[in-house]
Parts: sequence; structure tokens; C-alpha cells
Amino acid sequence: MPEVARAEYLEELANLEASALGGLDLVNIALGRTLEAVEHQDIELAQIVVADDDRIDGRYLEVHQALITLLATQSPVATDLRLISSLLHVLKNVERMGDQCVNVCKVIPISGNEPPADEEMVRLILTMGRQTKTLIMQAKRAFEERDVEMAQDLVRQDDVVDDLNRDCFRLALEIGDDIDKREWAMTMLLAARALERTADNAVDIGEQVAFVVTGLFREFEDASHPS
Amino acid sequence: MLGSATKRAVPEEKKAEVTDSRAAGATSTEPVTKAAGRPAKTIETRGVNLFYGDFQAVEEVTMTIEPNKVTALIGSSGCGKTTFLRSLNRMHELTPGARVEGAVTLDGEDVYDSRVDPVAVRRLIGMVFQQPNPFPTMSIYDNVAAGLNLNSTKISKAQKDGVVERSLRGAHLWEEVKDRLDKPGGGLSGGQQQRLCIARAIAVEPEVLLMDEPCSALDPVATLAVEDLIGELKSRYTIVIVTHNMQQAARASDVTAFFNLDETGKPGHLVEMGPTEAIFTNPNEKETEDYVSGRFG
Repeated sequence: MPEVARAEYLEELANLEASALGGLDLVNIALGRTLEAVEHQDIELAQIVVADDDRIDGRYLEVHQALITLLATQSPVATDLRLISSLLHVLKNVERMGDQCVNVCKVIPISGNEPPADEEMVRLILTMGRQTKTLIMQAKRAFEERDVEMAQDLVRQDDVVDDLNRDCFRLALEIGDDIDKREWAMTMLLAARALERTADNAVDIGEQVAFVVTGLFREFEDASHPS
Repeated sequence: MLGSATKRAVPEEKKAEVTDSRAAGATSTEPVTKAAGRPAKTIETRGVNLFYGDFQAVEEVTMTIEPNKVTALIGSSGCGKTTFLRSLNRMHELTPGARVEGAVTLDGEDVYDSRVDPVAVRRLIGMVFQQPNPFPTMSIYDNVAAGLNLNSTKISKAQKDGVVERSLRGAHLWEEVKDRLDKPGGGLSGGQQQRLCIARAIAVEPEVLLMDEPCSALDPVATLAVEDLIGELKSRYTIVIVTHNMQQAARASDVTAFFNLDETGKPGHLVEMGPTEAIFTNPNEKETEDYVSGRFG
């Protein structure tokens, strides 16, 4: 019997996986720019991130369509089927993470060029963002290496982001009576929320790693029934 | 006890026809009374080895084929799945030099017991073949009634009419042929012919239906019609289907058994058997994964 059949199909599937996971690199670039825009109140850079989201959406559409075509024409089963199903989830998460960067960047101009920023809150947001970038890259690596342990570790990393998000909330409550500063703090809470969601998307990708490897899907953490 | 061995004498000139009729499970006169949803029978095999002369085609197959389910046998060419199928109703032994070792039971009764009449076995375990094989010049009606006609016991015309109609309805063919029952079976389309063969098989009310690539000679529409029919028949029968079509196994079966052979000339063996859903989404064995994914075969 031939050792490997369907070489072209397998190559196509491998390329699509690389393209889908490459979407995480695009998200990481967008997130890096987003953090820079937050740090320096750079409204122009924020607008670039918003405009550039089309690239992430384009990647989603392109790979999504190709995966559907593969499903329709190649009848994948077993690991291939699980991989394609997972890549469809990964793509959705990539698209959502790109949108969260856009959400952050859209609130930056609200408080003008020189907002009454609170240094500690900006530090918390930037720390959250960097931690989220770490999660995204770890999710990508765990998927590429089919490393369930590394994928499960995303939960621990995500807890750091959740804690920072709560710190942001507490700080906003105690930010004082200045109306402009309070308004700014509210916009930063929206940004923190978007980053928290982005980190959650990375954990979702980790859950897909476990599904590809084991064939069983389970949430690493159940928000409605926390352990 | 399955039907005992009899001293039935079959004239030489009738043998070919009888063999064909046996394949359709054709020796009963009882009307089709099996109610939909009635439990069918379980086939169990224990350490089955199958030979053609000195050549061992199948090695040590032990499996339980559950009632009222469709079990698909899949595997690459030469892995012995058709040979194994034919051993379940003692058709393997019709090949000169063919030999069977091990045990095959139908609800615990030994199919190969020396006191058991092979013809009785083939009535209880009917078979549908790859190529539709109606008697081409015989009418549609007589094709279905062939099994009844071959039995020495007489039944009334009205009873026979009832069996023919119920069998054709059971095979989803009645509406298409009810106005031309006297026309030759050979005049039907391929898909209709195959359903006619299924009607012929169920006319004698078997417990089990064996199907050897029943759709490989059919177009996609006829294939889906036969698959739908298989899905309905399982409420009354135990069904075993050999197929090369992975998607057909995935669509039409509840349980899938994967056969493979280590290399050409070696006997085929059972690699893995389990719920079809599991075999096609998360098989246990890498060999199975490679086969169902089209990595080889």
C-alpha cells in the first residue's frame, strides 16, 4: 500500500492551518499597536488599527471559505475533521480578537488628545495587554505543537488578566470626583473589558487544541459554574 | 435450533437457480408478518478463520453484530470483508475448496452445526449482492415470489399477493411498479432492480440481511434511495453491509468494523469495531484513522 495518499489535500489542509494560525500573528500586531496607542494616546495609530482590521476579516473570510470547500470536496473524517472544525473555531476567535482591538482603539479618541489619564490605570491596561499577547502566542504554539498541557496552562495565564481587570475596576471606582477623569476611567474600563475578552478567546483556542488531540471537547473553565 | 439438515434433493439443472434463490433467502411460505420494530437477531463470531484451499483469507475474527442496527464492514480490497460476510450465512462454503474455522452463531445457535441445513440458514440470513440480480425475464411479481414458489408448501394466491405487496412496499418499490407487476424484472432501472432484489430477500422474512456493496452499481440518486431503505429496514432486521464507500458507511451504518491486512497475501483481520460516529471522528487505532481519512487503501 502507498505510504501516503491524498498528498495534495494534506498539503492544502496544512496550509490552511498555517493561514488560520497566522491570523493570530495579525491579531498580535494589532494588539501591539493598540497598546501603543493607549500608552501614548495616539489617535492616528488607533485609526490605523481600526482600518487594518480588514486584513484580519479578510483572513477569516478567505480561510473560512477554503475550509468549507475542503469539507465539501474532500469528505474529511477523524483527526482531519476535528482539525477543520477547530480551525473554524480558531478563525472565529481571531476575528473576534481583531474586533476587540478595534473596540479599544475606538474609545481612545473619545477623551481627546490630552486626557486626564491616571498613570496606574494605564499601567494596568498595558500589563493586561502584554499578558494577553503572551496568551495569544501561547495558544498559537500549543495549537501548532498539539500540546494539551500548554493549552491548559492558558487558564492560569488568563487568571492574571482577570485579576488585572478587577484591579482596573476598583481603581475606576476610586478615581475621584473629577468628571473628566471619571469619563476617561469609564472608557478605559471598556478597553480593559475588551482585553479580558481577547484573553478569553485565547483560552477558547486552547480548548480546541484539546479537542483536536483527544476528540473530546470540554471547557477548561465554565464561567456559569466556576470551580 | 435452526432449520435441520434435510434430504432435499435438488436436480442438477435447478442448482444455479436455487443458489440464487438461497441468496435471496428463498424457501419460506410464511407470509410477511414481522411487525416494524420487532427485535431481530444477534450474530456472534468467535475466532473465525476463512480459507480458500491453503490460502487463509481471514484470520481470527471475533465480533458481535447487534440486532436492529446497520453494521458496515469496511477495508481495502482483499482484506476479506466480503469473504467474512459470505461466511455469516454459509455462502463461503459454496466456493470449491473453501473452509471455515471458528464459530458463527445466530442468537446463540451455531450456524455451522452439522445438523443445521445451510439452506435454512440462508433463509434466515438473506443476501443482496453488488450487481442487482433479478431473474431478468421473470415478472416483477414472480421475482418477489420466487422464494415462496420454490418452497414445496402451497400458499394461496391471495396470501402470495399479500406477501408480494408487503415486500415491495417494504423495499420502497410498490408505488413505482404496482401497475406493471407482470412486466419483466430486467426492465427496471438499476436502482429499482436492486430494490426488487431487496424485496425478494425480505419476502421470505429473514432475520438478517447481508448486503455486499449493494449500491456500487447504482447512480447517486438510486444509492440514496437504497440507503434510506436500509435505514428503515433496520427496525425489523439485523443488517450487515460491505461497502467501499466511506461516506456510505458513515451515512448509513450505526456500527463500523474496519478490516485490514498487513500485506498482500496475508489474511485480513479485524482492526477495530465501534460506533460509526466514533470510527469517523475519533478512531482508537491509527490504522483505522489512516484508512478512513484516505491516507491509504
